[in-house]
Amino acid sequence: MATIITITSGKGGVGKTTTSASIASGLAMRGFKTAVIDFDVGLRNLDLIMGCERRVVYDFVNVIQGDANLHQALIKDKHADNLFVLPASQTRDKDALTEEGVEKVLKELEHQGFDYIVCDSPAGIEHGAVMALTFADEAIVVTNPEVSSVRDSDRILGIIQSKSRRAVEGREPVKEHLLVTRYSPKRAHEGEMLTYTDIQELLRIPLLGVIPESEAVLHASNQGIPAIHQKDTPVADAYLDAIGRFLGETHPLRFVDYEKPGLLKRLFGGK
Amino acid sequence: MPRRREPRPAPALELKTTRLAGIQVILNSAEHAALETHISTLFAATPDFFGGEAAVFECGRLPADAPAPDWAWLAQELQSRGLNPFAVQNASNELAAAAAKAGLLVLNAAAPAPVVAEPAPEPVPEPLPEPAAALAPQPAVPVPTRIIDKPLRSGQRVYAAGGDIVVLAAVNPGAEVIADGSIHVYAPLKGRALAGARGDVTARIFTTHLEAELVSIAGVYRTFDTALDAAVAKKPAQIRLADASQIVIEPL
Repeated sequence: MATIITITSGKGGVGKTTTSASIASGLAMRGFKTAVIDFDVGLRNLDLIMGCERRVVYDFVNVIQGDANLHQALIKDKHADNLFVLPASQTRDKDALTEEGVEKVLKELEHQGFDYIVCDSPAGIEHGAVMALTFADEAIVVTNPEVSSVRDSDRILGIIQSKSRRAVEGREPVKEHLLVTRYSPKRAHEGEMLTYTDIQELLRIPLLGVIPESEAVLHASNQGIPAIHQKDTPVADAYLDAIGRFLGETHPLRFVDYEKPGLLKRLFGGK
Repeated sequence: MPRRREPRPAPALELKTTRLAGIQVILNSAEHAALETHISTLFAATPDFFGGEAAVFECGRLPADAPAPDWAWLAQELQSRGLNPFAVQNASNELAAAAAKAGLLVLNAAAPAPVVAEPAPEPVPEPLPEPAAALAPQPAVPVPTRIIDKPLRSGQRVYAAGGDIVVLAAVNPGAEVIADGSIHVYAPLKGRALAGARGDVTARIFTTHLEAELVSIAGVYRTFDTALDAAVAKKPAQIRLADASQIVIEPL
């Protein structure tokens, strides 16, 4: 049985693609055969973050429309064994995603023995985002510590609860996880940002992790290496913790408390 | 071997009493142009508010000599907006005959007649006795209270038709709770709450944590752009209507 994980948020620019790349890489590093699919047809980004943009020949829409088979379209990741990327089409729009087509591709991935299928949702609540969450078994809702992002996450949770296959068929509901990204303990401490507890209180779903704001993310994106591979950075450690929690392990939250600069300096070398 | 009783097959037809919840469409005018304008403005903001509820045209307020409205057109207009009109009530002979021709049932005093200016005219020959007899007045059966136990999220809307609603989880900003009766929220109320949606001025709103964006009772609403009184903000409160026109918010 493959588990389908949708990474979604409603709002754009909160870190869905960064998270998709890191979560998929993290699962693959743990030995699970993992595929990550870019549902953002027309605004293809995942391949850049994964550093495989020069190897894209066929894409998700080609497979849906039968122009290519899955084998031809899946790109093997350079950084992790067991990880394959299915890029979006850049020249089409979201209407190319049909429910039957998406279901067919997911079924085929399951048939090929994938353990996890990570769906990188586009922003918004329209067709593309709905297609990305329709077949979800679990959903990771990526939220930034600011009110508009929290409101949009709330909205997308409502859509998961009404439009996912599990909801429509009355099966056990999609398992929801909250992932707070771009978190700055200092600014939260000073009241400039919502704290992760504020966010959790409003959204009322279990917290999977808190990823700190960091320049390492931008650096990772520009290099085309998922942030989880940026060894010994708080971002990578926070993603590794989140993967552990996703798999049922217990890890204390890190990088959420604001400490006196002196101590911070000692720990992280003066950032 | 144990003997098993053969289950009796269910009969093909069973008769049970029921009482339909429906909408009264009260006609104050039979004039085509006036109806047309009002229908389009009434439904403009919420074209999908109704979801196929049954509806009855109430004619008691029409003047006795009013010409029959274009029933077929009127029914069609409402149908396209999610209402299913199937009958007329308290109609004069002429109106009833036209309605029957348009395929509507004719009911007589199936519900307590609202404002009727004069005593009803002499008993009229019954154009369609059968359905009218079947729908004789019955004591009202209370509508079950609707209970919601999951958080209502931004963009979600629930409507308790004909009764009260109890919400046991948070109503988040951007969510909307609507009831024809009262609204009870035993959790933070941060979205919108609209009680007495069909004009019941005695409906109230209760919550254990008032932080709403908007409250409304029988169409009288209040927003909270300015901060709430400290006695009720984020505290248990009730909201009711005083003199049928003024929203009153009190600590519980």
